[in-house]
Amino acid sequence: MSFESDLLAILPRLRRFAASLSRDRADGDDLCQAALERALKAREQWQPGTRLDSWMYRIMRNLWIDEARSRQRAARTFAPEEAGEHVGHAGDRDVEAHVMLSDVDRAMHALPDEQREAIALVLVEGLSYKEAAEVLGVPMGTLTSRLVRGRGALIEMLGEAA
Amino acid sequence: MTDIDEALLIAWVDGELDEVTRRRVDRALAEDPVLAERLETHRRLRVRLSGHYAPIEAEPVPPAMRALLEESAKVVPLARPATPRWRNWGIGGAIAASLVLGLGIGHLSGGSSGPVAVRNGAMVAQGELASALDTQLASAQQGAAIRIGLSFQRKGGGWCRSFEGQSISGVACREGEGWQVQQLVPGAGQATDYRQASSGDARIMTTVDALIEGAPADAAQEEAAQAKGWREGE
Repeated sequence: MSFESDLLAILPRLRRFAASLSRDRADGDDLCQAALERALKAREQWQPGTRLDSWMYRIMRNLWIDEARSRQRAARTFAPEEAGEHVGHAGDRDVEAHVMLSDVDRAMHALPDEQREAIALVLVEGLSYKEAAEVLGVPMGTLTSRLVRGRGALIEMLGEAA
Repeated sequence: MTDIDEALLIAWVDGELDEVTRRRVDRALAEDPVLAERLETHRRLRVRLSGHYAPIEAEPVPPAMRALLEESAKVVPLARPATPRWRNWGIGGAIAASLVLGLGIGHLSGGSSGPVAVRNGAMVAQGELASALDTQLASAQQGAAIRIGLSFQRKGGGWCRSFEGQSISGVACREGEGWQVQQLVPGAGQATDYRQASSGDARIMTTVDALIEGAPADAAQEEAAQAKGWREGE
């Protein structure tokens, strides 16, 4: 098995993870493509015998965090007067995409980043707490408290029936 | 009144509880309908979220991503920044030999005998592997079942060679008239009929790094060493 065919085998799961982090499907695929490119460049850093999926989740998550931070910086720099109206949103694209997004997409998008990534890894990707904590580089206790808070917020947004 | 908090409930839903704790929660759930309803809410949330994103996994991979991986698989990585120059051994003469025929070592060495034997407590190469180490030059091995990676002098003297085959890869050093195997890792595998050269296993590179004195042999030095039967000294 080559590195590339191993990546191809886990690609459906990587796309799903990217979608659960991103605001919509197109952004998710952009993120996934960027993560693949990064992985191919950094392939020497992957230790054979360790889990390729965990390594890829970590790459993707770090790209996503970097991008989210630069978006926030851009929002603060270019539109200070609108900051109050659009905290955490990317402006008018949000309104366009709004129509296409389901309740679940919107609720996930409204979560703070650190809760969303924890929820995505455990509830969507089905990782164990230990695996998810390793991908995120946080202690187990931190992960579980993010899961508790994130779930509480989702249940509130999606209604008691969840 | 119970001592079951939200974290325990969601750990139950996520399948993270050990048997004892899970039973404790189960007993509390049986006695407390409100708690049971909260657990049910958490369970529905998990089902709803995983169900929401599940169809993405079932979709065909987008052509752009597939193409990216397929293109990458075709290219022998020429540029490896921040690695020692000698690691580019795959480039020169080996480009012509970049496709290694997928013949299992076992087939050629006669099956039962195998490529490696244990003698006097040490792993030694035999059969096809031994003859590849004896005679094969890294610069001329097109179509060979076992591919020689590097030939190099080890610290303290003596020749070593790294090798790569379908079933096993590793590093062996000359000891007397034979080759003592220093490291053995699974080979390139049987998944495809051929594979890219120059995809050196990181574990083997680590071993080479630990053993090597100076730079690996170039084609002329390798040929000279082979002509002298891999005996020590230049």
